[in-house]
Formats: sequence, structure tokens, C-alpha cells
Amino acid sequence: MDRDLLKESAGKINAFYSRQRRMPSYSEMMKLFAVRSKNAVYKRVSSLTGEGLFSKDRLGRLIPAALQRPVRLLGLIQAGFPSPAEEETIDLISIDEYLISNPEATFLLKVEGDSMIDAGIRPGDLVLVQRDLIPRNGDIVVASVDGEWTLKYFEKKRDKVVLKAANKKYAVIEPRSELTVGGVVIANVRKYK
Amino acid sequence: MCASINKTPRFITLSSYPAAIVHLDCDAFFTSCESARDPKLKNLPIATGRERGIVSCPSYEAKALGVGRGMRLTEAKKICPELVILASDYELYSIYSGRIFSIIRRFTPDVEEYSIDEAFCDLTGLRRLYRASYPSIARKIKETISRELGITVSAGISISKILAKLASKANKPDGFTSVPGYRLHEFLKDMPLEKVCGFGPNSVALLNKNGVRTVLDYVERPREFARKVLGKTGEELWLELRGIPVYKIVTVAKEKYLTISKTKTFSPPSGNKDFVKGQLLRNMESAFIKLRRHALAARGLTVYLRRADFSHSAAQGRLTRQSSSTLDFTALAVRIFEEIFENGVNYRSSGVILSEILDEGVDSHDLFEDPVKVEDLKNISIAVDKVNLCHGKHTLHIASSNIVKGNPSHPRNRTSWRKESLLEGESFRQRLNIPLLKNPKG
Repeated sequence: MDRDLLKESAGKINAFYSRQRRMPSYSEMMKLFAVRSKNAVYKRVSSLTGEGLFSKDRLGRLIPAALQRPVRLLGLIQAGFPSPAEEETIDLISIDEYLISNPEATFLLKVEGDSMIDAGIRPGDLVLVQRDLIPRNGDIVVASVDGEWTLKYFEKKRDKVVLKAANKKYAVIEPRSELTVGGVVIANVRKYK
Repeated sequence: MCASINKTPRFITLSSYPAAIVHLDCDAFFTSCESARDPKLKNLPIATGRERGIVSCPSYEAKALGVGRGMRLTEAKKICPELVILASDYELYSIYSGRIFSIIRRFTPDVEEYSIDEAFCDLTGLRRLYRASYPSIARKIKETISRELGITVSAGISISKILAKLASKANKPDGFTSVPGYRLHEFLKDMPLEKVCGFGPNSVALLNKNGVRTVLDYVERPREFARKVLGKTGEELWLELRGIPVYKIVTVAKEKYLTISKTKTFSPPSGNKDFVKGQLLRNMESAFIKLRRHALAARGLTVYLRRADFSHSAAQGRLTRQSSSTLDFTALAVRIFEEIFENGVNYRSSGVILSEILDEGVDSHDLFEDPVKVEDLKNISIAVDKVNLCHGKHTLHIASSNIVKGNPSHPRNRTSWRKESLLEGESFRQRLNIPLLKNPKG
């Protein structure tokens, strides 16, 4: 039997299984495969079990070969030793998880202007900002000055806070009234392509 | 029976927190989200709803100047000329809402997502874990939300859901109210009946006629009185208000019913049947384009029409199977439309909601239907999408939606700031799932 058709049928059974959490009956497979007889289903099921994708119980009903839902259809795989390469994937983290430690408190800011150029932050960069961190000396923070977010170094001398740019052209900002810090910069993203 | 005057209220219960139920309610949620990302908006009278032509959420500053929810924008501008009106950014509000529930779940698994900006949670038994009293745990949740999200919430803690909600409402915005059992009688003493979630104007009028003026009056009447006057609900509220929990915290996350909806307001409002029908079918075409783009198929269809006076009618129908073909649903949409459309009425918008959505390809065929025809319709939709991809959206469309020409409302009025400020690699359809702070300057 044609392998593409087999793959497709296996995929449909898997989709049914992940949706219903049980294997389809023969009449349900008639619908799944869009065939008109149970005999056609039987033939296809025999080929699938022959490939080791599913097995049958005493009454001939389908049981899944592997209970971990083999939904990836990179090819028909024989049951056997799991690849050690697969075992290790549990220890991998996504780039999101690498960059962000508290997802609820993380925000984005697109950089405009060159005031942080000497800190390597360029206009157009996208910085990740975490709101729940208490800013410490030398942190880059997003602060609200005159109703606008601004990106600066945070410096605290005794009880006085000043905001410094990483560019000689800019003067030091000494907030007169209360200073609102919108968060501490934890990462900078620059996408080239 | 005569109402006693100057009576010292008696204790309703002597216990403090036999159960600890918290209600968290965001303060002017939509506008709070807006000013959390744009500091320029802080302390200004602002409102969202530009795309709908009515105020959907006024900020506290706007409310103080007389701007109310549901008010027409022209009217609101007249009352408060300095009002800043923003297009709603539901994407932003959903992100904030999801984050609020995640933060509460850090403290307790028993969280009920009551609405986009309201939650109930149960802290019973957590004192030892946090080595803190119930009110201080509740306060901690409230403060964490403010610190991490930059918006304020009002919190109420008491011994039943109805009481917790009453408590959170007692002090808004940014309030915190704790009502232990032994303080109930004081809390309810001067509480007007209409503050109780569940007492509508009719219940209040009926209770007033029976000499009940405050919530305390109500709970001091015998249980039979509550049942006789207001039935089962009245009895349940009577129990809840006395601190005996009847309503449970529904922790199952609201079933994520995946739906796709499209709606469009047309100005000026129209009573032309063909025009309104055309608008409706155009919305349906748009919804199906989105459905097919995500490789999904739908079964249910809701059609709604909003009249010029903002009242609306809606009806629902479903096919015998899932489908992703626009033409499969056209007849159904028209039938529902015929049912709810009234001659001589002016409509301002129409919309559709597709429901019972599944992955495409798992669609089963109906026994009584010609599978060849079903395939044909599907192929037509695919072909239509291909043509429109080359020649522009809606170039090829259902004949009845031909009456819709161009776009009557200004896109600038409808688009949120975020959709106009796309980042490298984002599109009008898809954006990053992290809020973007507004108005940056180097």
C-alpha cells in the first residue's frame, strides 16, 4: 500500500486519539479515511499494524503502539530503543525562557534616539524590561520623565537618584519630583533579518 | 412587625475567617492598561472606544468630569473637551488579563476567572504556608499585581463570594477591604441593597415595600422571608450575605471556546435590507478567510445585528458537520438574517461569530450529503483565496456582498496604536505576545 496514504491514515488516527483520548472504532475510521466499507478500513489497519504503528487487541480493536502520542510524522518509525538525543531535550529551554525570568512582569520597549549608544544600545533595538526588579546602581532602567519613557543608567548617591545617558552629548537628568521607574532592562534584542 | 430604630446591630457570626474568599476587581481596566504603557496618559481624562463611537471604558479622571460608560463620543467630548479618546486594543487587555490570573495562581490554585478584569480566589488554609493572616496574603496579591503590571486593583476579602465582591466594591479605586465574620454586622449596617450583586432595581423596590432598607435589615429577617419574597436566589443571597457560602469558586479555566468573530460598524446607519445583508456576508467572508488561514473548520454560526439605538438581536445556527467553505454557510447566514432583520429599523453594525472550531482535515462527511459537492465548495474557497491573494482581499466575493463598496469608516479610527507600530518581522495579523511600552525616546 502507498506510503503517503499510510502516513496520512496514521496521522488521522493520531489526531483522533489526541482529540478523543481513545482509538477510533472501525466505523469511525470509515469516516476518518473517507472510505465506504469496513473491509477497506480493515486492509489499511492491517498495513498500519504491519508497520508497527499500532497494534490490535484480542477483539481486533486498535490500541496505540506508543502511549506518548507519536504525532511527529517524520517517517514511519520502528519501535525500539529511544534515541539518547531525544532523551536530553527535556533539559532544553526556549529563547523566551532564556531571556525572560518573570513573564508576567516583562515588557518591551523599542529604542529611539542615541542616548545609550555607548552602552551598545542603538536606535531600533528592542529592549526587554522587567518591572518587579528594584533598580541598583549601574542598572539600565526605563524611567518616565515628562510623560515619556526614557532609557538611562540608574545611579543613586545617598538618597538622590540621577539618570545618566551613555552618550556625552546628553546631560545628567536629576528628577525634580518623584521618579517613576518602569522597569530594569534585562536584555536587548537586535534582529538583523 | 415594626422596623426598630437605633437598634445596636447584633453579631451575625463570631468567627473571623472560616473561609477566606478574595475578590479582585481591576480599576477602569482598559484605560489603566493604556496608561500603564504610556506615561503621558497618567492622570488625564481618557476613554477607550474610538472604534465603536461610544465610551467603552472611561478613566477615573474622565468619570470625575462626568464621562460615563456607553456615552456617545460626541456627547462625551461636549462634556469634557480635553478627553483623550483611544481605539481599544483588546490584544493588550487580554495579555494583561492573562497575566493577572497567572499572578493570582502563584498564591493559590483556587482561582475563578470571573470576567476579563475580575477574579475570585480562595485562600482558605494557606495561613500556615505563608505564615501570614488571610488579609495580608490578599494584600500581597494586590500589591504584586500593581508592582508587576503597573495597574491598580481593588480587593475585598470576606467569608463568601457575595460578601467578598461587596467588600471590593466598598473602596475603589486601589482599595482594600477586609470583612471578617465578626465585623459583618457593622459592614452591612448602612449598606444599600443595590450594591449587592444579584439585587436588581425590581428586587430592591420589592424589599423596600417590605420595610427592608439596608443589607443588614435583609439578613436580620428570617430565612423564610428571603425565600418567600425573592425565591431561591433570594434565599441563596441571604445565606451568602450571612457568611454561609453557597456559591463555589469555579476553578476550571473558562472553557477556551475557540471562536472567530468579525463585525463592522457602518455609518450612517442603514435600513436597506440588501445593504445590511451585504455587510453581514462581507463579515462572514472575512471570518472565513481568517478561519482558512489558520487551517481550521467551523460548524456553528451566530449572526447579530445592532440597531442604531445600540440594542441588538442575534440568532444561532449550525451545520451538520465542520466546514471551512464560505459557501457552505451562506444559505444558513441568509436564513438567520431573514429571521432577525426587521423592516423599518436602522442598523449600525452587523457581525458573525464562527464557533465549534476544529482543525481542518478532520472534517467528517454528512451521510446525506454529496461528498463531491462538499469537495467542490472547498476547492472554490481555496481558489477564491488564491485569487484574492494576488488581487487583493475581497476582490472575488459573494454576489450579495457586492453592495459593500470600499470602507465607509476611517481605518485610522479603528486601528489601535499597537497595530500601527509594528516591530520588525511583525504583521498586521500577528504581533509579539509581550506588551510594548509606548512613546520611547532615547
